[in-house]
Amino acid sequence: MFCYQCEQTYRSDEGAGCAGPKGMCGKDAATADLQDVLLYVCEGVGQYLHRARLLGATDIEADRFILFASFTTLTNVNFNAAKFVELIQQASQIRDRAKSLYEDAARAAGTAPETLSGPAAFSPATDMAGLLAQASEAAVRKDAAILGEDVVGLRSLILYGLKGVCAYSHHARVLGQERDAIYAAVEHALDILAREERDVATLLDEALALGRANFLAMEALDAANTGTFGAPTPTSVRVTPVKGKAILVSGHDLKDLHAILEATKDKGINVYTHGEMLPAHSYPKFKSYPHLVGNYGGAWQDQQKEFAEFPGAIVMTSNCLIEPQPRYRGRIFTAGPVGWAGIRHIADENFAIVAQAAQALPGFTEDAPEQTITIGFGRDTVLGVADKVIDAVKSGAIRHFFLVGGCDGAAPGRNYYTDFAEEAPKDTVILTIGCGKYRFNKHDFGTIGGLPRLLDMGQCNDAYSALVVATKLAEAFGVGVNELPLSLIVSWFEQKAAAVLLTLLALGVRNVRLGPTLPAFLTPALVDVLVEKFGVQPVGDAKADIEASLARAA
Amino acid sequence: MYKVSLLTRDGATIAFDAEPSDTLLDAAERASIYLPSSCREGGCGACRVSRANGEAELMSYSSSALSEDERMAGDILLCRAQPRSDLALRAPFDEAAVGFAPIPERRSSLVAFEPAGSGAVRLQLQYEDDPTFGRAAQFTAGQFVEVTLPDGSAKRSYSLANAPNWDGKLELFIRLQPNGAFSNYLRDHAAIGDTLQVRGPQGQFTADETSAAPRWLVVGGTGLAPALSMLRQMAEFADQRACRLFFGVNKVDELFALDAMDELKSALPQLVVTLCVWKPEKEWREFTGTPAEALALALSAVSERPDIYVCGPPALIAATEETARSAGIPHDRIFSERFTAA
Repeated sequence: MFCYQCEQTYRSDEGAGCAGPKGMCGKDAATADLQDVLLYVCEGVGQYLHRARLLGATDIEADRFILFASFTTLTNVNFNAAKFVELIQQASQIRDRAKSLYEDAARAAGTAPETLSGPAAFSPATDMAGLLAQASEAAVRKDAAILGEDVVGLRSLILYGLKGVCAYSHHARVLGQERDAIYAAVEHALDILAREERDVATLLDEALALGRANFLAMEALDAANTGTFGAPTPTSVRVTPVKGKAILVSGHDLKDLHAILEATKDKGINVYTHGEMLPAHSYPKFKSYPHLVGNYGGAWQDQQKEFAEFPGAIVMTSNCLIEPQPRYRGRIFTAGPVGWAGIRHIADENFAIVAQAAQALPGFTEDAPEQTITIGFGRDTVLGVADKVIDAVKSGAIRHFFLVGGCDGAAPGRNYYTDFAEEAPKDTVILTIGCGKYRFNKHDFGTIGGLPRLLDMGQCNDAYSALVVATKLAEAFGVGVNELPLSLIVSWFEQKAAAVLLTLLALGVRNVRLGPTLPAFLTPALVDVLVEKFGVQPVGDAKADIEASLARAA
Repeated sequence: MYKVSLLTRDGATIAFDAEPSDTLLDAAERASIYLPSSCREGGCGACRVSRANGEAELMSYSSSALSEDERMAGDILLCRAQPRSDLALRAPFDEAAVGFAPIPERRSSLVAFEPAGSGAVRLQLQYEDDPTFGRAAQFTAGQFVEVTLPDGSAKRSYSLANAPNWDGKLELFIRLQPNGAFSNYLRDHAAIGDTLQVRGPQGQFTADETSAAPRWLVVGGTGLAPALSMLRQMAEFADQRACRLFFGVNKVDELFALDAMDELKSALPQLVVTLCVWKPEKEWREFTGTPAEALALALSAVSERPDIYVCGPPALIAATEETARSAGIPHDRIFSERFTAA
């Protein structure tokens, strides 16, 4: 295996990348290799679909498959090697279908179809041993000696950004929001990867194009979530257990949470959100379920301890799963793109067995002392008080906004984000988005003129909401987003963050502070481009960074 | 007091203190570290680890659990070893096999018992609702429980034959022994509704889910139980991996659970079952011989190298390990659980 798609990838003096029998995320070599093969076959699907679309022919089921298949390869999603053998066979059949679609469309248009090579012509084996033997043809760093490190790094940025686009788009898709423009961009990006483009400037443009596609994906997801469940409103969420039978739901899939709440209605089972699922409490539709009682635990990297202590059933609806420990292996379930060998998977959205498990498990035997946090400061809420915010900025009551966004993780360097939030001066407002907030969201930050100093805007899936707020505020002030008294402090962990970063760059947002470390696939030359062209800065010392942000704004 | 550190197969270090009068297993448990073990009296070898550094004294144990060669190479049994210095140990199991909470002890009631062939009894227990554990029967297919007789006079370990379930059901197969404590109980005293204390789940004879290899199960007598559990779990998960079962008994009328195997074959179309009778007392059309012999024949007919899971009496385990090794199956792809008569 070779994988360096996430922040925790193995780093040593010789370079970065997980190349041993197991990655730092717990993914074994076979699974990693099979994921490479799956993506390679998807590139082949993209080669045909891209050309077919130019001729006016599309296959939406194939596009949907690409979203799902790519999602399974994100960090902390699917670790089940056998599942990838199955997905590769499906991908291969879909590629044959896409080939016919393209060739028929070409002939109908009176042109001779191109004979495609590379992934389009790759014949995947039908069993695991055969596929593993082919994995070197699909490896991320294959041809590195010919292409050069910068090209490999940019290709990786595109591939990982593409995975993020696919994950967001899949979430939007299951709630009925799809965009032709996204599918066109996904197919185009797969075609770019397949044809081994070597020009750095072209690849950089493609990466930014993907960033624009991701903006559409996040818009679609926002429309899916708010259209299905209503616009988030500020909500007090209990973060301590309530006596009774219990189910914990993690991951981003609001549709699955909804199905679980329906399956557990009037059964005396309390449902808790975990990690990525926290924003659910702020949607009007979810407030109508009294048995959605609260949020349990911290960010994903604490799950092995917290799940072991949770006395009920657990469902992972998307990332971030880490190796289920013996103490809860039997009562954790996966759904959607998630998987782990030997863990029960729910493929049909029927969560009756989860309810049955919860009833058979002890649940919480007593109420814990009540403790709450406030979430749900989505775009409607924040823009609803825009006048107040603008006045507070003009009067000097609010000096600056810090948007602390992105994932959490176990790396020691992530203390930076805690320090940053706690050291931020009292006349500054902290906006949070993503799991990074779990480091400090139970801390009391106080208020400015009645406005809480800590405003949680949701998860990374809600990044669109933050971008709308920034854009609208900039309009109100009559300035560009980069002139707002706003600094973006981003902690990246996996591929969705790569997609969001590309979106920020594509929208011209400058001076993003990125940490805790820079992606291993970015070469020094590529980092220079990000720094010079887009003003991206690696995080440094929290206090110094706060001062520098305030000085820039002043 | 000595310092003991144990390095697991996956590289985790587990440290605890031990008094010279403690067995290492007890000392670890005092620190709420529950290391893999089974009989706790030097008979099964489940707690065997190797010694990288330091001295330990071994109380009496069975040579089937630790051979002279293994002892000379530095291996010890955690249930029999008392420290004589600080110790550095290397374990053949992963950190995941180590429990950091006590093994659950729960009350169950006897729901049914009936003959299983001429030499064994099938027992069904039902967990009672428990404030700490609920009603669920949570375990990993292949694990065992320790059952205490209603009068507390004897404890025995039995593998679970059913799949984990939310109804709290346990299914065990008990081989009848002349004058065995459980055999006597079942013959003379057992009544539906009896309360039996169950300590478990325990054990690490569980399927390696990450392996891509076919799964071949070689079992003798009531050693069928953990194999049934694994296969039933596979059936529930619609697992498509190739699998075979070699089930052996001494005589034709000792065969049992044939209906369960038929159910499994319809749920797992890829499952191939080979019934083996060592000394058929009547007409017998399937394999005559031991499951290890049937395995040798099957291995000679295929090029793939399956993972081997073997459960049964020590002689079957030794023969199976030998057969598998000579067919080129690596030592770490052979998983065994020894059944001893009690």
